[in-house]
Amino acid sequence: MLLVDAVSKVYGQAPAAYHALDDISLEVKRGEFLCLLGPSGCGKTTLLNILAGFESVSSGTASLNGKRITGPGSDRVMFFQDAGSALFPWLSVEENVRFGLKLRGLPRAEADRTVSHYLAMVGLDEHRTKFPAQLSGGMRQRLQIARALAIEPEILLMDEPFAALDALTRRRMHTFLHDIWTKTGKTIVFVTHDIGESILLADRIAIMSVGPRSRFRDIIEVGLPRPREPAMPRFGELYGKIEGLLTNEVDALQ
Amino acid sequence: MSTIAIVRAAPSVLQPPRSLWTHLRPLAMIVGSMTIFFAVWQVLSSFVFNPHLIPPPTKVFATAVPMIQSGEIFKHIGISLVRVIIGFIAGTVLAILFGVVMGRLKAVNDLLDPIIELLRYLSPTAMIPIAVIWFGIGENSKYFLIFWGTFFFVLINTIAGVMRTPVARYRAAQCLGASELQIFMQVVIPSAVPYIVTGMRVAMASAFMSIIPAEILAADSGLGYLLQTSAMLVQTERIFVALATISLIGFITDRIFRWAVERTLHRYMAFITAT
Repeated sequence: MLLVDAVSKVYGQAPAAYHALDDISLEVKRGEFLCLLGPSGCGKTTLLNILAGFESVSSGTASLNGKRITGPGSDRVMFFQDAGSALFPWLSVEENVRFGLKLRGLPRAEADRTVSHYLAMVGLDEHRTKFPAQLSGGMRQRLQIARALAIEPEILLMDEPFAALDALTRRRMHTFLHDIWTKTGKTIVFVTHDIGESILLADRIAIMSVGPRSRFRDIIEVGLPRPREPAMPRFGELYGKIEGLLTNEVDALQ
Repeated sequence: MSTIAIVRAAPSVLQPPRSLWTHLRPLAMIVGSMTIFFAVWQVLSSFVFNPHLIPPPTKVFATAVPMIQSGEIFKHIGISLVRVIIGFIAGTVLAILFGVVMGRLKAVNDLLDPIIELLRYLSPTAMIPIAVIWFGIGENSKYFLIFWGTFFFVLINTIAGVMRTPVARYRAAQCLGASELQIFMQVVIPSAVPYIVTGMRVAMASAFMSIIPAEILAADSGLGYLLQTSAMLVQTERIFVALATISLIGFITDRIFRWAVERTLHRYMAFITAT
């Protein structure tokens, strides 16, 4: 279980200090799909970076299964929007997936099996000798998923992973990620500013208020049957409700 | 996941004709431009300029033939090339070592950067007198000057390359369980390779530009020495042979360097553009 308890994050020193997060608490159950939704600059990426261990908290605690998060760990893998930067361009598709396995000294045969298993899962099996530069945007994101899954983390942390893709590819990636999540049962914390994306994917949506001093405006249980489609009757209703909440947020700022 | 086949519309207009000419064009352009260059030079030297000051290409060629046959020109090329290669390798190796440390450790960078910022404005030519006093007119002073002309270009590019490792790539490696040392060796340095190679190419040109003045002022062999002695005897034809040799050698060396990079470091040279 991922636990965020009264976490605040302050950047800088007293007179010029910026309070990014203010007294945030959250519980993510094992196997849950949680979306952090909010306008730009609301601190969702800051919260994700804290969970990943890239940034420290100013006060409060973030913990995983009762163990305090103090730095990056291979039980939580971050998944970046810019796959071009996040992947290792000098390694082939196969070698990218193998990277984490080599580090933990997995025997060759076992590593081979793991690599093949996850490449097949993300549908990149026949591209294993290609290099990231030769892949499309969607394929690069699938490679990033395979690389993350290969080291068998408990949690996937995803920072607007599909925001840079075109609408059609993005839609296919939603279906794809949903399948992966169903198959592997990973806990996923997914940052987005796209309301539709969060309704399609999440068990719960944590809506964040505009910064500074961001907090959770509301946490919504989606409760629609899966797999979901934008055409579902309750989809629009939920969309309107969340949009209303976010609009109030942004209006309050102006 | 199903795949979607994208059918492209057949291009109807604005498509350049893919004929034999498309392939031959680059070569034809080179031959054409060289022919025009030599023809104009020949005409001007024969009818407009004083041929003693600007000898026509036919005369330069006639001068070159015995120098090639006797092996004289190759002796000078060999000597200059060895000097360039030794100084270049020494400068590159040391610059990469300093560069990765400076790029990684801010304290070291803060300490050394001001010194480097001052020293890098001293061109190899400016260093010739002191090099001769320190090392004499023998080989060591040439190695030093080439080293000097190489070091700063590679150093500055290496530092930039190490510093510009994308944050996402660094953090991804952290998540995959890499230690700081593993990240440095397996992520940061490979990410810096394109920058280092660019620095080396610039440094290579600088090394070729540095060897000539060094040999003109303080040497008893090499292409610069050939220029110097020919000038003293006012043998303009031999000066032109030396000049043509220098440009040709520089050009060939760069091509060989690029070919070697392509062969050995190809996979590190790929930049991925944003999706």
